[in-house]
Amino acid sequence: MSIRRRIATVVVAFAVFAIAVMIWAPTVGSTPISLARAFDRSIPWDDNVDAQIFFVARLPRVLAGGLVGATLAAAGVVLQALLRNPLATPFTLGVSAGASLGAMLAVSARLELSVLGITSIPLASFAGSLIATAIVYALASSQRRGLSTNVLLLAGVTLNAFFSAVILFVQYLADFAEALRAIRWMMGGLDVASYVPIIAAIPFIVVSFGAFAMMTRTLNLLSVGTEAAASRGVDIVGAQRLAFISASLATGAAVSLGGPIGFIGIIVPHLVRLIVGSDHRIVLPASALFGAAFLVLCDLAARTVMSPLEIPVGVVTALIGGPFFLWLLVKRS
Amino acid sequence: MSALLWADNVSFRYAAGAPLVVDGVTVRLDDGALAGILGPNGSGKTTLLRLLSGTRRPTSGRVLVRDRPLGQLSRREAARQIAVVPQETELAFEYRAIEIVLMGRHPHLGVFTVEGPDDVRIAEDALAATGTSHLADRMFHELSGGEKQRVVIAAALAQSANLLLLDEPTASLDLGYQLEVSSLLRRLNQEHGVTMAISTHDLNLAASICRELILMRDGRVLAAGPTAEVLTPDNVKRLYDVEADVQVNDATGHMTVVPVRRIPS
Amino acid sequence: MRFFRQPPPLGGLFVAIFVVALSAQSPKRIISLVPNVTEILFAIGAGPQVVAVSNYDVEPPEVRSLPTVGALVDPDTEKIISLRPDLVITYGSQTDLQAQLKRAAIPFFDYRHGGLDHIMVTMRALGARTGHVEQAEKVARDLEAAINAVRTRVAGKPRPRTLLVFGREPGSLRNIYASAGRGFLHDMLVVAGGEDVLTDVDRESAQVSTEMILARKPDVILELNAATRLNEADLKAVVDPWMTLSAVPAVRNKRVIILNGPGLTVPGPRVVDGIEKMANALHP
Repeated sequence: MSIRRRIATVVVAFAVFAIAVMIWAPTVGSTPISLARAFDRSIPWDDNVDAQIFFVARLPRVLAGGLVGATLAAAGVVLQALLRNPLATPFTLGVSAGASLGAMLAVSARLELSVLGITSIPLASFAGSLIATAIVYALASSQRRGLSTNVLLLAGVTLNAFFSAVILFVQYLADFAEALRAIRWMMGGLDVASYVPIIAAIPFIVVSFGAFAMMTRTLNLLSVGTEAAASRGVDIVGAQRLAFISASLATGAAVSLGGPIGFIGIIVPHLVRLIVGSDHRIVLPASALFGAAFLVLCDLAARTVMSPLEIPVGVVTALIGGPFFLWLLVKRS
Repeated sequence: MSALLWADNVSFRYAAGAPLVVDGVTVRLDDGALAGILGPNGSGKTTLLRLLSGTRRPTSGRVLVRDRPLGQLSRREAARQIAVVPQETELAFEYRAIEIVLMGRHPHLGVFTVEGPDDVRIAEDALAATGTSHLADRMFHELSGGEKQRVVIAAALAQSANLLLLDEPTASLDLGYQLEVSSLLRRLNQEHGVTMAISTHDLNLAASICRELILMRDGRVLAAGPTAEVLTPDNVKRLYDVEADVQVNDATGHMTVVPVRRIPS
Repeated sequence: MRFFRQPPPLGGLFVAIFVVALSAQSPKRIISLVPNVTEILFAIGAGPQVVAVSNYDVEPPEVRSLPTVGALVDPDTEKIISLRPDLVITYGSQTDLQAQLKRAAIPFFDYRHGGLDHIMVTMRALGARTGHVEQAEKVARDLEAAINAVRTRVAGKPRPRTLLVFGREPGSLRNIYASAGRGFLHDMLVVAGGEDVLTDVDRESAQVSTEMILARKPDVILELNAATRLNEADLKAVVDPWMTLSAVPAVRNKRVIILNGPGLTVPGPRVVDGIEKMANALHP
């Protein structure tokens, strides 16, 4: 089978799976609804509970879950290739710490602004993620030779630690309700009940995915070695810059939409590589698709398993992620 | 016919104010050459190789590829002319051998282009040339040291470049694999006309296959020319501070160097 | 001490000893880390005995000039001990502080929030502990009477299904927290004549999803807001996000009601204010 055919076949298979999940997910939940009623245009909107459950409560949630899941998984793939380390996550380089600090400050400052329908926490967390990205980038580019991945890693880890400390400090100064609000945000949540935050995140994610698409073969070459890649015609510094900035931008947008939901960026790429191998031209799109389906399924569990109570979706991904890693470790040894 | 590669009095320092790592070196490689760049660790061999491949720009002097300045070629154009076999290959993820070899086709492919049947054929030919066709679908990290190195050489061949630069190709290999790889290189040069420059500190490797040598010490060229002329006990002493016995070995037919005694410097 | 010609009646002696012993036992230096208990202390007449309060105490106005010793998560143990209290009001979860007080041989009163009744229980218990039994009894009775008055007022009226929301991301419908089947918020709602839509959830509070709200179809949504004053524009801004759930009866019938004001739901002597506000909203 030609390479092109193989790539297409695998990606299409993952796409079918992801689309099936995303079509099925809004039809199920803790409340039984009638799809016929939900789609019945003759019933006035204000009277149609089934329609509102489908279109206001569930559909935005599924779409947000798909978008965030796809983005975090793809960003994870890119960062793992950039740092040449399968244990890297979209949060390794400080982006999510910046986002969390932004959110925390917005909560403590009692910021209540709304720009184009986006509320203060998503705005502040996106700003925080951009600032964290800029700081890490500046630190790593300070040497004249362009981006050094070692310095990138060190800068990211240090920034994570520093921002986390600041977050704790701000939390300590905040009152109980504010601290609780921030903690709850950090556990992740997809119940947006509105299409506005999703639409707001889309441009950034689309741009980043465009960059990802251009980078796939380059990521293959980078993972064999930077000197080897350079001798094969790869612009190392340019590729690393593009990878870092696009992955950070995408992560910032995803975290602003759903909070810092962990484990997607590492479980999904791992699982996908186990199934399809390491060619990033397959791994990247497959991870995005699988990540979308995976998060939507996790959120489905979060909103049904303990009904009428909600489990924060980040808790669900963590509960699945932990044992998964143990299993991986055991399997490896 | 102009030289395939000509490094004209190149010098290099890693940062302003730092000492010169390569100091006024001139190297000329004609088509079909099999040259060895020989010297102790720290002599600037690896850096010189980087200058020759275009990975680094010389601080002074110029590198010409068939009379065209290397610095003016785009990275991809340069990669189509010059391929590098690095000293070590550490994969971050698990790839099959054929995937590694196909990566050599990168300079010939556009951003969104996927390897076509021609590319696959070139890759398979490269594997055949290095005697590793049977390893195509094996996972790279499961191969032996010698097999890995041959696959990496195949990847460099797949680049369809005119010149192959090898950085310590046998340094990390067991004796048997050393022989395997060195005879492969000689065969590629003689039967397939691949021009090569090998950077090494292994005197006997250089003596066994290189037809010409460039001896380097402290960033400068000590001596350059045909192997038989250049590889003398005197030059070995100047290069390594070692008294050595240099002669043609009856069994192999090429020169060998046997170190005898260290000369305190 | 006066010298009697005859020995005083034994009962009188007994009472005298009892009173002396009691006032010798009554704490003179009370520190309270729980704001609603501070309010109770002042209501039952133990105010003069309070020497320090928590960082979040604002009522009654007398406490604002008192030294503060931290709060729920960060009580300043050193400062507390240095003030030489003979009774410290702690919250049930402050086990570290309680252990340290034990070591310093300082008695403490262990309080936890409970149902509405628990307020009166706490009043009486503190009355006994601080030597204000009579006043505590009076305050508790008055409070019970006021609560019953509301109960009577709404008795017989149909009880609207109500969602009592106390937390939400401003400007959106994310992270909605509501009172559930237990606790004083739930009891307040029941007394005020409402039927809690989350009455089957055996917790004090729950995070509800938009789907849950649509499914449970509350007739009234009461949202607690801490702002002291909300003008019309503010009010509209707060209510606006609810409009997307127009199939919810409360939204459709314009019965999303914001109850604002600090201290609306403090389980203490002012709790009747909150209950009355709720009752007025549910049964205008």
